[in-house]
Amino acid sequence: MSDNKYLMEMKGLKTYFKVRGGVVKAVDDVSLNLKPGQTLGLVGESGCGKSVTASTIMGLIPSPPGEVAGGEIIFEGRDLLKLPESKMKKIRGNKISMIFQEPMTSLNPVFTVGDQVGEVLRLHRRLSRKETRDQVVEAFKMVGIPAPESRIKDYPHQMSGGMRQRVMIAMALACRPRLMIADEPTTALDVTIQAQIIDLMNKLKEEIGAAILFITHDLGVIAEISQHVAVMYAGKVMEYTDVNRMFAEPKHPYTVGLLSSIPVMGRTHPGNRLTTIKGVVPSLFSLPKGCLFSDRCSDAFEECHKTQPPLVDLGNNHTVRCLKYV
Amino acid sequence: MGLVNLFYKNPEDRHPFFDQIEKLYKNKTGMAGLILITIFIVVAALAPWLSPYDPIENSLYDQLKPPVFLEGGTMKNILGTDDLGRDILSRLIHGARVSLAVGLVSVGIAFIFGSFLGAIAGFFKGWLDQLIMRIMDIILAFPHILLAIVIVAYAGPGLRNAMIAIGIINIPRFARIVRASVLEEYEKDYVLAARAVGASNGRIIFNAIFPNCLAPIIVQASLGFGAAILDAAGLSFLGLGAQPPMAEWGAMIAMGRSMILRAWWVMTFPGVAIFLGVLGFNLLGDGLRDALDPRLRD
Repeated sequence: MSDNKYLMEMKGLKTYFKVRGGVVKAVDDVSLNLKPGQTLGLVGESGCGKSVTASTIMGLIPSPPGEVAGGEIIFEGRDLLKLPESKMKKIRGNKISMIFQEPMTSLNPVFTVGDQVGEVLRLHRRLSRKETRDQVVEAFKMVGIPAPESRIKDYPHQMSGGMRQRVMIAMALACRPRLMIADEPTTALDVTIQAQIIDLMNKLKEEIGAAILFITHDLGVIAEISQHVAVMYAGKVMEYTDVNRMFAEPKHPYTVGLLSSIPVMGRTHPGNRLTTIKGVVPSLFSLPKGCLFSDRCSDAFEECHKTQPPLVDLGNNHTVRCLKYV
Repeated sequence: MGLVNLFYKNPEDRHPFFDQIEKLYKNKTGMAGLILITIFIVVAALAPWLSPYDPIENSLYDQLKPPVFLEGGTMKNILGTDDLGRDILSRLIHGARVSLAVGLVSVGIAFIFGSFLGAIAGFFKGWLDQLIMRIMDIILAFPHILLAIVIVAYAGPGLRNAMIAIGIINIPRFARIVRASVLEEYEKDYVLAARAVGASNGRIIFNAIFPNCLAPIIVQASLGFGAAILDAAGLSFLGLGAQPPMAEWGAMIAMGRSMILRAWWVMTFPGVAIFLGVLGFNLLGDGLRDALDPRLRD
């Protein structure tokens, strides 16, 4: 595969939810690209459409009420949105896998963890019992679970949160997928375990050469793991750039706001208030007419409340959705 | 208990099954039920060796002999004889076989069909759910013994049809319980995770969700076992179930009822047998409910 060939190309994806009281545009005109071996961070507040984007790639949008209203997701030359369910089933867990936020509830309580990792292999590979078991042990070794031969016989309740997340990761990489979607995999874990899981994912990405779409609201995690970042707000991508540039010279007022909201040890003193972005996320039922962020933006001028800003290309693969840069 | 702990140094490493066994073990009434049922099953299994006489062999010289503890009773017929001179103890022992078969077959029918219908109703929701559950509601709307009578009257009297009828009338109970559990489990993350690894709907329902719904169904199966025995006895009492000369507890009561003043033992002992059998399953059912319900964990 040549260097500039994309593994996944998402163009103008629109995922809407038709509910009583109107249409919620959970994902509206989102375009993302991923090259093999790359990690793309997707950041944003709760409810900005990060997880819906991930579910849409997996074809797991509950329908109704959800529906894909437009766009395409080209993965290895095929549009995932046009594939029939039977073909999608063969891709899920095999070519594209997903790691969930809650390791405590994402494992089935009545089966051993070894069985559950083996299930993925049973679904996608024709292997003997022995081969399946060996591969499960191999996967457990890769994710750093000590004594894998005995741990595969454990039930989920016998494992800690960090161990369970490792099992989830083992499940996700069992079939050596091309793309791993990690939906806030570290949010439910404490900080030391978070660091271990991030190191692990970085290491595994190298080993199996997969791309990762990493969803989080934690900018610190983004800095650790990804090469590119897309900042989402109210269903739209506000800024897309590489990770160093985002931290060094953020362009969109929302990104700037997010970065300045992070408390820095030593710089925040008792009594000082943390910097915040004023206001709240607009209701997806009644979005502002102009820029979605205009009501909360400190740099907003009159035009911002009237027209929706286009994506502005600043060069160097840096795009921003803001009228300031038009 | 101690025995189970022997194999595991760390209680955390035990299969939850052992915790549940242990809880059942500590539950006195549940254990009483389990003991009653064990006796019941052993008696049924060993009936030909345990019973002193052939259960359907007439003996015209021994009609209506009283049990051993009454005046005129002998050790020859410990629980006395009926109006055809058949040994009541032997008939009771063989009747245990019939009751066990009734319980297994009818609960089996109700379990398999009820679980299947309930699971797909709860999983697919929508019109399929509406259709299945409204049919279940219709079945439930009839007094259940009446419906069983209708089915047997249509299909013809006999033990086999009685078992099928009792199975059918119990389908809605299982369907409702399974549907409720499936609706609850459906929302859990592991279902989404199963989807995300490419599992098909059938696999998700029966391989991922269903095992998580087993606890309430096991309780219902145990309680249903007792109810099925009682219903079968009722149908046989009405002459729609087991046909003479088969040794069936309900049929024995029906036969003995005309003689209650002259020979009370003919219908009393089968009544006691039914009572103990049903009591055993109900006590075990309650004990299992306490042991399996995670909300009641201490």
